Amino acid sequence: MVDKKSDVLQGTLDLMVLKTLHALGPLHGFGIARRIEQISDDVLQLNEGTVYTSLLRLQQQGWIASSWGVSENNRKARFYSITRQGLKQLALETENWERIAGVIGRVLRLEREG
Amino acid sequence: MRILREWAAKTQGLFMHGREDHELDAEIHDHLELLQERYRRQGMPAQDAAVAARRQFGNLTLLKERRRAQVRFLSPGEIWGDIRFGMRMILKKPGSNAAVVLALALGIGMNTAVFSFVNALLLRPPAGVRATGDLLEIWLHSRTSSGVQSYFPFTYPDYAYYRDHSRIFEGVLGFDGDGTRAIWNRSGEGQVIQGQLVSGNFFSLLGVNAALGRVISNADDQLGHPRAVVVLSHSFWQRQWGSDPAIVGRTLVLNGADFMVIGVAPAGFAGILVATEPDFWAPLTAQEQFTHDKDRLDSRHSNWLIVAGRMRIGVNAVQAQAEMHVFADRLAQEHPDSNKELDAIAYPAKLVPGPYRVYVRAFTGLFMAVFGLVLLIACTNAASLLLARAANRTREMAIRSALGAGRGRMIRQMLVESLLLSSIAGGAGVLLAWWIARLLLELVPPSLPITLEVPLDWRVLLFTVLVSVVTGLVFGMVPALRSARVDAAPALKEETRSAGVRKSRLRTVLLIGEIATCVVLLACATLCVRSLMHANSIDPGFDTRNIAIATLDPGTLGYSPQKVAAFYRQLMERVRALPNVTAASYTKHLPLGTSREQTTVGKDRSKESDLIPVDVFRVNPGYFATLGVRFLRGRDLTQKECDDEAAGAVVINEVLARKVWPGQDPVGQRIAFGGEKNTSEVVGVVKAGKYRSLGEEPIPVVFRGSLPPARTLVIRTSGDARPLLEAVRREVHVVDPMMVATDLQTIEEYMAFPLFPARTTGFLLGASGILAVALTAIGLFGVIAYVVSQRTHEIGVRMALGARRTDVMRLVMRQGLYVTVVGLGIGLAAACAAARLLSPLLYGIGANDPATLAGVAAGLTAVTMLACYLPARRAMQVDPAVALRYE
Repeated sequence: MVDKKSDVLQGTLDLMVLKTLHALGPLHGFGIARRIEQISDDVLQLNEGTVYTSLLRLQQQGWIASSWGVSENNRKARFYSITRQGLKQLALETENWERIAGVIGRVLRLEREG
Repeated sequence: MRILREWAAKTQGLFMHGREDHELDAEIHDHLELLQERYRRQGMPAQDAAVAARRQFGNLTLLKERRRAQVRFLSPGEIWGDIRFGMRMILKKPGSNAAVVLALALGIGMNTAVFSFVNALLLRPPAGVRATGDLLEIWLHSRTSSGVQSYFPFTYPDYAYYRDHSRIFEGVLGFDGDGTRAIWNRSGEGQVIQGQLVSGNFFSLLGVNAALGRVISNADDQLGHPRAVVVLSHSFWQRQWGSDPAIVGRTLVLNGADFMVIGVAPAGFAGILVATEPDFWAPLTAQEQFTHDKDRLDSRHSNWLIVAGRMRIGVNAVQAQAEMHVFADRLAQEHPDSNKELDAIAYPAKLVPGPYRVYVRAFTGLFMAVFGLVLLIACTNAASLLLARAANRTREMAIRSALGAGRGRMIRQMLVESLLLSSIAGGAGVLLAWWIARLLLELVPPSLPITLEVPLDWRVLLFTVLVSVVTGLVFGMVPALRSARVDAAPALKEETRSAGVRKSRLRTVLLIGEIATCVVLLACATLCVRSLMHANSIDPGFDTRNIAIATLDPGTLGYSPQKVAAFYRQLMERVRALPNVTAASYTKHLPLGTSREQTTVGKDRSKESDLIPVDVFRVNPGYFATLGVRFLRGRDLTQKECDDEAAGAVVINEVLARKVWPGQDPVGQRIAFGGEKNTSEVVGVVKAGKYRSLGEEPIPVVFRGSLPPARTLVIRTSGDARPLLEAVRREVHVVDPMMVATDLQTIEEYMAFPLFPARTTGFLLGASGILAVALTAIGLFGVIAYVVSQRTHEIGVRMALGARRTDVMRLVMRQGLYVTVVGLGIGLAAACAAARLLSPLLYGIGANDPATLAGVAAGLTAVTMLACYLPARRAMQVDPAVALRYE
């Protein structure tokens, strides 16, 4: 059971990271963590370290790329950006997510009506 | 695709993990600092801010660990840890682990030994030869017959045609397949040495250069004017000349003619034919010096050359085969009398000639299968033992899983342990294989001129490694999966006493399989051993005791017929005068050897089509008395009848008598030979014996005179034949110092040759049978003993509740009996099928011999019952008070 829960979470985190990079362009790990924190309004309790696990995973899949650059406060930092393949994957996963969310929403409504 | 990418990343990780790790550390460090800074700005004290930042970031160690798993296959440290832990677990139970290792080592060792023969015969390319992959061997094949007899070596004219016309081959080489014996005149004394006649391009096509001097070239091998030159083998040069560098240019007197040594072949090179190790090489066209056969190079009927070609670059074997077909067809049209229905077949060049490979494959395949089964039994043993132990380690596994070990991690640990066991066994197996291979070579009869190299090279070692790993996985997988499927909570709460129904069912299946396999092996082994005993007791039709034999060939020295006759007459006189000699004679060849002469015979004036095929033995007077062959009618041949074919007298065996003159007395009748004008008179009839093989049906045979110069001397003595051998060697030397007797042996040694296949098979299968029974008994004993120890508590309860000792005994024995009976049933059925495959190897015994099967069943039942009885007795002696208190 425990395994399955984390699976869903993992996939979700990957999707969020991808979307963040898509929306905001190249970002470093700290920036991504801030953005997710900001958007989730503290609903999601996130260990920020897992962002790096996710980044590595995405990189291995070839969905994001990384390069070294200088951050806004003049620190050397690794910037991650979404790749062409990553864009495709994002579209696919977004659609997937919406379909599942839709189905689950319908199911939940059904229960309330019944 | 996804997996592929991950693997790619991991492979990359192998090379750059150092830098990557460092970069990630820097990244994380920056991240933490930024978080800390933010908290500080919110007004937190520096220390609290650091803690808060760490909390928000999460488990750092876990992150790094996960990352490692993502970028790397396995860390060396982890594997090393597994191995160390595995070794500790193994050393904890040295006894039972030693038993497992020993069983596996025997299994792996036997398989490796057989494989080392497969390697030596079929896989290993000839040593010292360049690019063996481009070499093809060519054999003539008669379309009208089948089996190995349908393949022929080349005649010289055929060889010359292929050599001169081929576009596919860079060159075509030929050499005499039987080898050439020569008498080397070493300062007045003869010494027999082995030679090989080779074409001028032999060395250049094989890419072999001389270690000293030069090799034979095309210029040496010119038809009509060959050069009298020889190349010595490296070992011959070392042995006989003490590696004298001044050998090149010296002269050797071989068969009475001078040959100049032009070079020495490199060490290790022994040609491209298995089991031959020439002392020298000489040009093909110089063959007359060795064979004294003037016509051999022109003859279209003398098939004596093994031929091989080296393909040009960019040509494949299919194209080569096509060209060979074309050549064969063309020759068949040009020379219908000799080449009609003859095709040419190309084989990849290996040490064993192409046509024979199928037999070697079948023979070695049988043993691979048999010892594969032995290994399977050993695996089953190991698996059931590990299963039993896995049940004991439930608690350990539960703790591991509670502490967060993943399923994969636990399976890995268990597999590492079983692989450790199998690797140790593999190492021991290699040593065992080396020893077994030496032992098997000892079985080769001395009369077979075989020098077989059975090296443990990289192919054999690779095989052993593969077998060991597969073995480890096979016997380790089930226990590993089983132990990883542990439910932590109940296992930690209270160690459960019952072994569990599922687990014991799996063990039962394993045991049944083990016993069934054992039955198959044992039945086959018993059949072979019994047939071996039969073969030993088969009457070959002549005495197999008190006879000495030797072969002689004054023809090699180029003597005239008169000189040959004089030599044999003198020798016979001297041999007959030796002490204890009761009879002596000559024959062209002995029955049950490798030589054979055949012709067709019939009644006088019968049509050619009525003639029946017979085997011919050319003998001198006294042959029958010497070998102890009994006359049924008539008399022996006289010396005059033997020396002069025109005298026309023959002796036949009873089989021929019955076939040609059923119900009549053949003595005094005249017999006609196919292709001969004159008829001969039958002067005697002898009892039939075995002529080609011990297993044959009776064959019609004719005995007649006119022996060629190459003969076998047979001597009967009233005592032991062994001391006679040295005397014969001496007498030959006295009569003619240049002559040398070869293959001096007693008849018992001679008989090792026809019995060789049965003996080897019997030896190997006997060994496999004994191994199988021992392993099965150990396996059964181990499991039953384990079950008893697991059930001590239960047995105690039963006894406390009033069960008698005999009830307990019955309880334990019933389990053993059940597996035995089911295993026997399955095994006997399988054994019947397997034995049918063996039937061609069996002498005088049916494949489904009921006595054998019954004996195997009874014997195995007795052994398994004993294996169950010992633990059962221990169960009976359980003291209920002690067993219950132990709780």
